[in-house]
Amino acid sequence: MQCKCCNREATNEYCGLHERAYANILRKFEIWKHAADLSWEQYLNEIVKNPFTGAWAKEVAERLLNNKE
Amino acid sequence: MEKYTLIITEKPSAAQRIAYALDQEGKPEKVEDKNVPYFLVKRDKPLIVVSALGHLYTVAHVGKGRNYYPAFHFKWVPRYLVEKNAKQVRLWIEVISKLAQNAEEFIDACDYDIEGSLIGYCLFKYACVNKQDIAKRMKFSTLTKKALEKSYSKPLPKLDFRLIEAGRTRHEVDWLYGINISRALTLAAKRWSGKYATLSTGRVQGPTLKFLVDREKSIRSFVPTPYWSIRATVDLKGTILEVEHEKKTFEKRADAEAVMRTCKGNTGQIERIEERRTQQKPPIPFDLGALQAEAYSLFGYSPRRTSSIAERLYLGALISYPRTSSQKLPSVIGYRAILRGLGKERAYKRLVSILLHVGELKPREGPKEDSAHPAVYPTGNTPDRSLSSSERRVWDLVVRRFMAVFGEPAIKQSMKATLNVNGHHFYLRGKRILKEGWMKFYKPYIRAKEVLLPPLKEGESMELKEVLCEDRFTKPLPRYNPSSMLKKMEEKGIGTKATRADIIETLYSRKYIAEERIVVSDLGFDIIDVLHRYCPGVISVKLTRELEEKMERIQAGNEEREKVLIDAVGILKPILEGLKQSEAVIGKALSEAVQRSRIQERLVGGCPTCHTGKLMVLYSRKTRKRFIGCTNYFKNICRTSFPLPQRGTVKPLHKPCTGCGWPTLIVQMKGRRPWTLCFNEGCPKKEERRKRLAMQMLQQRGNK
Repeated sequence: MQCKCCNREATNEYCGLHERAYANILRKFEIWKHAADLSWEQYLNEIVKNPFTGAWAKEVAERLLNNKE
Repeated sequence: MEKYTLIITEKPSAAQRIAYALDQEGKPEKVEDKNVPYFLVKRDKPLIVVSALGHLYTVAHVGKGRNYYPAFHFKWVPRYLVEKNAKQVRLWIEVISKLAQNAEEFIDACDYDIEGSLIGYCLFKYACVNKQDIAKRMKFSTLTKKALEKSYSKPLPKLDFRLIEAGRTRHEVDWLYGINISRALTLAAKRWSGKYATLSTGRVQGPTLKFLVDREKSIRSFVPTPYWSIRATVDLKGTILEVEHEKKTFEKRADAEAVMRTCKGNTGQIERIEERRTQQKPPIPFDLGALQAEAYSLFGYSPRRTSSIAERLYLGALISYPRTSSQKLPSVIGYRAILRGLGKERAYKRLVSILLHVGELKPREGPKEDSAHPAVYPTGNTPDRSLSSSERRVWDLVVRRFMAVFGEPAIKQSMKATLNVNGHHFYLRGKRILKEGWMKFYKPYIRAKEVLLPPLKEGESMELKEVLCEDRFTKPLPRYNPSSMLKKMEEKGIGTKATRADIIETLYSRKYIAEERIVVSDLGFDIIDVLHRYCPGVISVKLTRELEEKMERIQAGNEEREKVLIDAVGILKPILEGLKQSEAVIGKALSEAVQRSRIQERLVGGCPTCHTGKLMVLYSRKTRKRFIGCTNYFKNICRTSFPLPQRGTVKPLHKPCTGCGWPTLIVQMKGRRPWTLCFNEGCPKKEERRKRLAMQMLQQRGNK
């Protein structure tokens, strides 16, 4: 199976590198929700445009936004 | 021919300096044989001073061919036998061998450290044929006449064999690791793809790259956490000053906004004023790592650059031997004589006279010691040639640091006024230096800034001019730069002060890392991934440190070279077997990584026409000429292409053009300064340039 973000080898949807970024996105959502009262989609938009978000986390967030349907 | 004493140094400039220092008239005769210079020195008995060119001998594989591993049999051979670019080493060895035939005494005057001792030992053993046991050793930390005279008149009776054993072992262990694992990786990739690419790793290189990969992973998968802070200003008798809320961070936006609403437009009262005096001790003397870190932070010089500048200053007898890990300055170096010497330089005259009036000079020292050399210090000599600006800067830094360590502590005063605004506390902070102490010697390099506050009284009222609620985010860990990486290696105890900077440079040259704020390339990630999966020991800091400790024990006489080598082979054998078993998988992973990295190197940026493809440096199959083309060309979507200069090298700059925002390239041609190329014909900057040139032409015609 290939990673949905970078075509590297993956066991699930993502390779080891993007999996870690995905786990971070999930973990941080609760903090953002509590702090700024954001929905999941708003949160993803926020982290995509944030300059401190890492490249892999951005790639995963963009993919999650594009595949929300 | 009269018998003489043969003195061997590490580098030609050291030979010259030693010859001038030891000649009774200060005019040694320079002779050249096969373009190899050496010096005839007149003294009570004749001397010949000749130099090496760094290492003239190296470890090499016994056996033929390069396309196999494991390779555990090695011997020491002249470098020209195994290195393509070492042809002149042959002449050097021939001349030294010839000079050794008529010599009756031998003295090793190479740098007094592991590498220097090993260079001397190899020359006495191989080039001079087994003279290592009768050779004496000059030990000095500066190349000043006084220090050289002293070390010549009282040389150590024999070479430091413990140091030599430690050096030999280090080279041999590093060779065993480097050659075997690098060959395993390179051959795996070559056998899979049929193409050759140098893939290397080593005992220290692997763990170093691992640190960088770990940091890169944490940066690239980082998701920031939001927080808020209140920023406010007060008007104090016409001066606008910034104040900070007692709560530095708010985890909820609503809480921060509530505070902002309560305080906005209100007046506060100074409730309390606190003053605190602190003493700041002088800095400690430079060891090599600290000098490299300071030069990087002040001037942006890479550790390797600082190291080579310091080496030049040492060879010019301006500073002491820089490859030291000592933070001590023993009194035998003669503080006052050094200061008097420095006082001849106009810039230091006033500062020196302050120190010379101090009763007893006592430096502040750090805890680290080095049995071979003291910390880096100026010799007291002033430059006898004009220094380059970088040399001048590093010398000035060493001189000022040397003076600063003798200074008195600086006294600083910090002040905190607490302002009460509707029950919320804001702090107004100021700081100033009451007594400069050591800072006056180190002034240009001090980064602390003073914040002077006007006189304040408790009960005084102040109006909050502006209250802002600022969105903030946590930041990822900073990227390593060459200097912080060097510090990390030092902290983890891997590599030596002489090798760390070179290892970082090797990672750059292998394209595992790029840029000053280090970014790991895909190739770097894949190398570590493969090593982590199939031979984790090679990237283990623990294993590397254990080997370092063993080599330190050899130096102390508590461990044997043979045992350490046997242990290293014992560790390597199963690793190499594992690599061989998985060669196909490793080869595939590495070949793909190399291919990705080669494509990455040619990617210029996004296509400005179709916006979906990427522009890339391509080569025409028909004409072999290079050009820029869109990757969508092969899908018949976009036919965008741009011509490129055919001479020199072109590399994507990964920076947009300041005129039009298109991607740019850097073009380098022999004999010309590199220039940035924007390939957009319609770039406003190009238009501007065209107009300017046309105007100049018109003006010239008018003048004629």
